[in-house]
Amino acid sequence: MTGPARPRVLLAPVTVTPSKPLTPSHLKGLLWADVMYRATAPLAEVTYRYSHTTYHPTEQTLGFWEFLDRTHGDIDYSGLSETEIGELYVAYRGEGATATAGDMRPYADAVERTGFVHPASALVLRLWAGHYERLGLYDPGLLTHQPPGYGLEEMVSDLVAAGLGLDQRRLGGPVYLDATRFGLPLRQIITAEGRPNYLACALRELLPLAPRYDEIVVLYDRELDPDYQLLERVLAQRGPTVRRVPIGRVPIEGRITSARHGGWHGHTVDALLRTLGDHCSPEALRLGVRLYFIAGLGPGQRESFRHELLRRSIARAGQLLERAGNQPDEPAVRRTPSQLTRLLEPHRRDHLHIDPYRLTSSLLKRGRTPSRPLLSEVFL
Amino acid sequence: MTLSPTFLLSVAAGRLRTTRPDLAADLDLTSLEGLRGAQAVLADREAAEHGDRTVVVAVVGDFDLPRWVVDTCRFALAVPAERAGAWRHAFTRTVYLAGRPDSLRKRFTFDHVAEDGSIAWSGPAPEADTESLRRLLKTFSGGRELAAWAPVTVTVPGAGPPPGATGRMEGEPHGAGTRQPVARDLYIATARVTVADALVQVNHLLVESAMDGTVRPGDRLTLRSVPRLTGLSVPLAALRVDTDPHRPGELRAYAGLTEATEDSSGLPG
Repeated sequence: MTGPARPRVLLAPVTVTPSKPLTPSHLKGLLWADVMYRATAPLAEVTYRYSHTTYHPTEQTLGFWEFLDRTHGDIDYSGLSETEIGELYVAYRGEGATATAGDMRPYADAVERTGFVHPASALVLRLWAGHYERLGLYDPGLLTHQPPGYGLEEMVSDLVAAGLGLDQRRLGGPVYLDATRFGLPLRQIITAEGRPNYLACALRELLPLAPRYDEIVVLYDRELDPDYQLLERVLAQRGPTVRRVPIGRVPIEGRITSARHGGWHGHTVDALLRTLGDHCSPEALRLGVRLYFIAGLGPGQRESFRHELLRRSIARAGQLLERAGNQPDEPAVRRTPSQLTRLLEPHRRDHLHIDPYRLTSSLLKRGRTPSRPLLSEVFL
Repeated sequence: MTLSPTFLLSVAAGRLRTTRPDLAADLDLTSLEGLRGAQAVLADREAAEHGDRTVVVAVVGDFDLPRWVVDTCRFALAVPAERAGAWRHAFTRTVYLAGRPDSLRKRFTFDHVAEDGSIAWSGPAPEADTESLRRLLKTFSGGRELAAWAPVTVTVPGAGPPPGATGRMEGEPHGAGTRQPVARDLYIATARVTVADALVQVNHLLVESAMDGTVRPGDRLTLRSVPRLTGLSVPLAALRVDTDPHRPGELRAYAGLTEATEDSSGLPG
């Protein structure tokens, strides 16, 4: 099924910091990326790059770890739930004080040199891996050590050499990403004390990968749009076409809140799965959440999360599965590339990747019986 | 001459009096409290003029003190007399932004660009003229404290852009004039003075000296570092005094330009 002419696509969604429970907003992003990955795979060589290792060096992760050890000492995290760890994270954010670069250095060094993950975050990632399994999400390596291709200094040198970086650390200033030649504002990526932000981490990962791909798709929270416009400019300099896919959050009762403030209450993915679990088949759950979070909510963020609509989507998924023939499909049929390709092609528009919204919405067209191989390959 | 709080106050008051004689008459400049009050009055006036205030915007990519001194003098000497007056009236206010001049030269026109491209100057002009540039960049943040250096001598260049550099200045440069080049020492305090502080403080001293004719093309300046200017016993032609952020309410000497240290006639200009 592979041929020399298959285009190469890199999917690079922004990761969720493993310090809190997954919320509907996170789940929406994960489902979009998953459908995009699985639907594009039959048409292109796709790499789904989702490395927690890459983003551990950010202040929000290292600072949290430092806070936990400083305030709780050597405790056993293994019995805690995601929500309990999330409450510790809210306490960390509420502390207000920011750990200094010196406080965080032991953790930063350990991440770089030994692949260290604090037990609290390791536990969160293990719990998430369980959700992924249940939801039929492809696991891009939640528990795997996946260091970025560039070290921090290598990344800065590369940017500066390309005329896209400004390093003023020698003067006691920060490092900036400089896309001002394109009319985009100067953006700090490393503080004067040497602390990288998530954009610096993303660049360490994506700069060396970029030349190997024909298309890079970045999926991100809509609020990060200015940063991703910068990233687009920088990565496009390396050759590939860069597609930005902003995904709106899911308001809870009309409000979009950051997980750093808590307030997820009964709306964690863990809680959702527990309440939904017994009332539907595993396949209806998988298809139903995709129908709701992709086709139902769409790319924007106007609609608040609604339990009853999620339940209705799961019921609809059950009907669709029944119509499609609720039998395990023949592997031979499933792997027929021409059939799948024919079904997927119309949903890629002018780019290489498949648009999850268009594809998922197409399942809901009146009177249409979805293809069982398509469901198995992409939605279950 | 010995530095003392009274002397520092007289220098700071003198600058205010010379720069804004229109205001000075009504203000009490005989005490530190009076000076602070006067500064507050000025700050209020400036806030009211927002957008019209004359400023220079300098985009800093990199900073090397001797090179920067040379380019600052070159820039200041080339400012046309009329614009120099307005800038002086605004206390030679200069805004430093972090940026790479080479990234900006297609979108913005600068009045002077350092030969090595490290810094570019725009103005003096009403603040509003550089609004889009300021929106794109960030305030320069150079928090590293200056380190002592071995004395180094630079020659003040002639007004106007260096050969090969692009820059524009319309009008007759105020720095034009004749006298034999002289040599001076430029003392710069380093203790608790960051790169960003030095850009501000030494800049005021240099550009105002250029406007006064204390610094002219061909002059040789020997840059000397001292932790503080305290105890300096050489005669000074100009002294830069400002409030000391580490001793609230107190004044501090940041940089001083000596009287001519030798007869430089016969040296190549």
